[in-house]
Amino acid sequence: MSTLRGRAYAGKVLHIYLPEEKTRCEELDEKEAKLFLGGKGLGAYILYKNLEPHVDPLSEKNLLIFATSPLTGTIAPTGNRFCVVTKSPLTGTFLDSHCGGPFGIGLKEAGFDALVISGEADELSLLILEDGKASLMGAKELEGMTTLETEERVRKKLGDSFKVACIGPAGERKALIAGIFSEMRAAGRGGAGAVMGSKRLKAIAARGEESVKVHDPKAFERAAWRAHRMVRMHEVTARHLPMYGSDNILETINESGALPTRNFQEGTFESASEISGIEWRNKLWIRDTGCSRCPISCAKVSKIEKGQNGVSFMEGPDYESIWALGALCGIGEKEAIARANLLCDLYGIDTISTGNAVAYAMECYEKGLLKGDDVDNLDMRFGNSVAMLELVEKISKGSGVGKLFENGVKRASENLYAKKGDVACLRFAMHVKGLELPGYDPRAAQGMGLGYATSDRGACHLRAYTAGQELLGYGGGSNPRRTEGKARLVIEKQNEKAVVDSSGICFYAFFAITLKEVRALLEAATGFEFGSSKNLEKVGERIYNLTRLFNVREGFRSRDDTLPERLLSEPMSSGPAKGLVVNLGPMLKEYYQLRGWDDEGVPTKEKLVELGLA
Amino acid sequence: MGTGKDVRLSKVFDPSDGRAVVVAADHGLMLGPIQGVLELEKTLQKVVEGKPDAILLSPGQAEKLSNLFKGRMAPSLLVRVDWTNTFRDRTYTLPVRETFFGTVSSPRHALKLGARAVVTYLFLGYEDEEMEARHLSLVSKYASECAKVELPLIVEPIPLGPRVTKANNAELVAMAARVAVEAGADALKVPYTGDPESFSNVVRAAAGVPILVLGGYRALSRRDLLEVIVETMEVGGSGVVFGRNVVQAQDPKKVLEDLRAIVHEKKSVREVLAGGEAPKKIKLGAQPERCSGCLLCTAICSFSHEGDHNLSAGRLKVEGRWPGPFKLAVCTQCGRCVEACPKKALSVNPAFGFIFWNEERCDLCGRCVEACPFGVIKLQGSKIKVCDLCGGTPECVDWCPRGALRVITS
Repeated sequence: MSTLRGRAYAGKVLHIYLPEEKTRCEELDEKEAKLFLGGKGLGAYILYKNLEPHVDPLSEKNLLIFATSPLTGTIAPTGNRFCVVTKSPLTGTFLDSHCGGPFGIGLKEAGFDALVISGEADELSLLILEDGKASLMGAKELEGMTTLETEERVRKKLGDSFKVACIGPAGERKALIAGIFSEMRAAGRGGAGAVMGSKRLKAIAARGEESVKVHDPKAFERAAWRAHRMVRMHEVTARHLPMYGSDNILETINESGALPTRNFQEGTFESASEISGIEWRNKLWIRDTGCSRCPISCAKVSKIEKGQNGVSFMEGPDYESIWALGALCGIGEKEAIARANLLCDLYGIDTISTGNAVAYAMECYEKGLLKGDDVDNLDMRFGNSVAMLELVEKISKGSGVGKLFENGVKRASENLYAKKGDVACLRFAMHVKGLELPGYDPRAAQGMGLGYATSDRGACHLRAYTAGQELLGYGGGSNPRRTEGKARLVIEKQNEKAVVDSSGICFYAFFAITLKEVRALLEAATGFEFGSSKNLEKVGERIYNLTRLFNVREGFRSRDDTLPERLLSEPMSSGPAKGLVVNLGPMLKEYYQLRGWDDEGVPTKEKLVELGLA
Repeated sequence: MGTGKDVRLSKVFDPSDGRAVVVAADHGLMLGPIQGVLELEKTLQKVVEGKPDAILLSPGQAEKLSNLFKGRMAPSLLVRVDWTNTFRDRTYTLPVRETFFGTVSSPRHALKLGARAVVTYLFLGYEDEEMEARHLSLVSKYASECAKVELPLIVEPIPLGPRVTKANNAELVAMAARVAVEAGADALKVPYTGDPESFSNVVRAAAGVPILVLGGYRALSRRDLLEVIVETMEVGGSGVVFGRNVVQAQDPKKVLEDLRAIVHEKKSVREVLAGGEAPKKIKLGAQPERCSGCLLCTAICSFSHEGDHNLSAGRLKVEGRWPGPFKLAVCTQCGRCVEACPKKALSVNPAFGFIFWNEERCDLCGRCVEACPFGVIKLQGSKIKVCDLCGGTPECVDWCPRGALRVITS
């Protein structure tokens, strides 16, 4: 038996080869767990070790990994996360996509720290994990079902105590922007849903009697209490997020000139106040909810009359979705945004990628690159919420012009370029390595630009959230228009975040607590000794270097650590950052130096030796 | 320190224990008319009833409200001499902008207003080192003017700017505290660094200059607030400067009584929360409309009793799933389980009113479980799990972040 059992780990990793329903249970090794913790780190380790280089992400060779972490299922604040790790079909890079839905705790209670899926099932299937056992079952009857219907049906069939992760119709047809869902929460970014669809796996249901036990319960309760107390006493986690959700920041981002508007043509949106957190709270939100074990409850429930597919409640929307389906498309109508978001959730696609796709279509339409028939005769001008909603429906269902956009902006722009031969349509395709940009214009927050360029999964705001300091004034603030010091800031944030993403807690708890509290929680839970918070940050550095190694092995180099042409050469047109572009070059150079990577962005031998990765 | 400073400081820090409970009410100067300071005089009349050692005001309000400070038992007046835009609030979030500071009063002027000390910020961590130098010069100017008129100078050292990261925050507080002391501070007002170990470093850095901890954001839980103060006092803190936690409270007098009990009477958090009275019969009350469905209550119930995360062992229940609403079932002490027990293994605790399980009498027949109308008694293994109100301070109430559970005293 694994020495880790009863120390916040289940102690087991389940490998399943779908075609033959062959399962193999591996004990989780203590040394590896201490080096990589869980979640992102553990997933990265398994993926790096077991995946051949250069496989087609949608082929049966790719691995789909669900990983929990030591704090998943505990009383630690936000101890609920699981993450999906795979090679992304959208970017071709490493992908970790995180979710606070109930499936993570279910997986751990079923007796597994992680689940590694390979191969392709013979037919659309449902994977059942119960008390240490796995079985596969045909799921023809779930075909074409929305995420919400799928979960309900699975629970009805197997029992109410099962916790489900599933894909919607978009994942089934391997749309590259499809995510994996668990109780209306999503591991949304990077196309993990397409990988699950390629494995013909519609849903996974987990339950078990294996409740999470910790190494030192008294110390753990003390550490958890202190961390909770900090969350309850911090302005962001005790007031802003509970009241106005993640959308509490929208007006501030707008005032800073960093709210990407009309496909990043502008940095301020004239209708921002219409879609601010206050407006949503007053008009559409009816309830605060939260993931399991979360003291923050940033999640909201919106009520909409005669909603899509007969559903009248929707989760959120959150800041990124409000921005992507709203400001980015020039739209300030809450109800249209909520309806579009609901469609994304039901059919199982990422709202950020979807909003970007619509905005891209709108700019192409206004510039005459797409017209009439190209867009099924929709009037795709910016600000047309009816057209936005129709296109989102088409993308969700993969119908008509939706086919052009269901694989993200990069594919759409390449497709268009091939057809029209106009290089302009590549210049404003807003993605990094294929992942669409999130809601902070890096021209108005230079650190975010470096963060997008060096993120291990493409343009992601959650690998180095420098916007907190650059735009929101957290932790003392930092001048958003300067590049000095940003490399250090980005590295520190990436390392810290890798620890958070491998510990089982949510980034939002980390607004209030620090690595010091995370260390106390991890040590009491696992019995590991890290010695100092610095050493724990080292774990994050190791994980971030490992995901870099993965991407290097796949052929990514410094030339890929870049930004869309628009951000590098088109000065911001309005707002406080007017006239600025992202000054990426010097930041990137400094970043590689501080990271101990060579000019090509490859970790040096010395660095790998230092981190125990050589 | 000269005689004048010494005498004046003794009107802020109680000479018998060297500690102070100070109320900050200068928010209007930085934040505008926020709740609690809008009708300042009314609020402060209530504050004064709670007997704070001192109240911090802007120079303008100090002049207008001088009546509050007259009389031998009246609190001491502290006057804010500088201003900054850094804390300017918006409705709900705080955008970053360049930091500026300015002078709103001088030690001489404060003295004329009847102040017993003046308070000024010292920010450390700027991107712009020239700005940092200017700020330190300003503080030093205050220090020398204060020395001339023998008025104590209280400095509020705050890490601010791009050099501040989360990891180095505690270090910077200690560093800024030391710089303030070197520049001539007679007392400090500092933010809590999150834990006693790092706060003791701040105390050490201050080299004997008394440190008051500030409240910052308003805490929603009494226990949270008081615990933080106790942690600072245990490692050498000298008291508190609390603003919103007092002036925005429904009953500022009550909050100040709590603070005085901790700071001056050296009571424990538990003693203060119990109110020093005999144990009362209590019940759990539920306000399900506040519940977000996070399940922390059931998780902590299991964890604090068994050291495990077995939610089915929870002595209370949350029902419902997305999109809600959620139902909460708690033990109401209705007594049906007691009546149903053929072995008299269950009884009502006379002090607190909770249901007590006598293991020796119980034959695990399970009638109590069947009798419970709420499903909150569990038979698991060879144990009956029934709400014991955690001996008087229910953990589920303290851990609920949304006030969906509360203690009802009958």
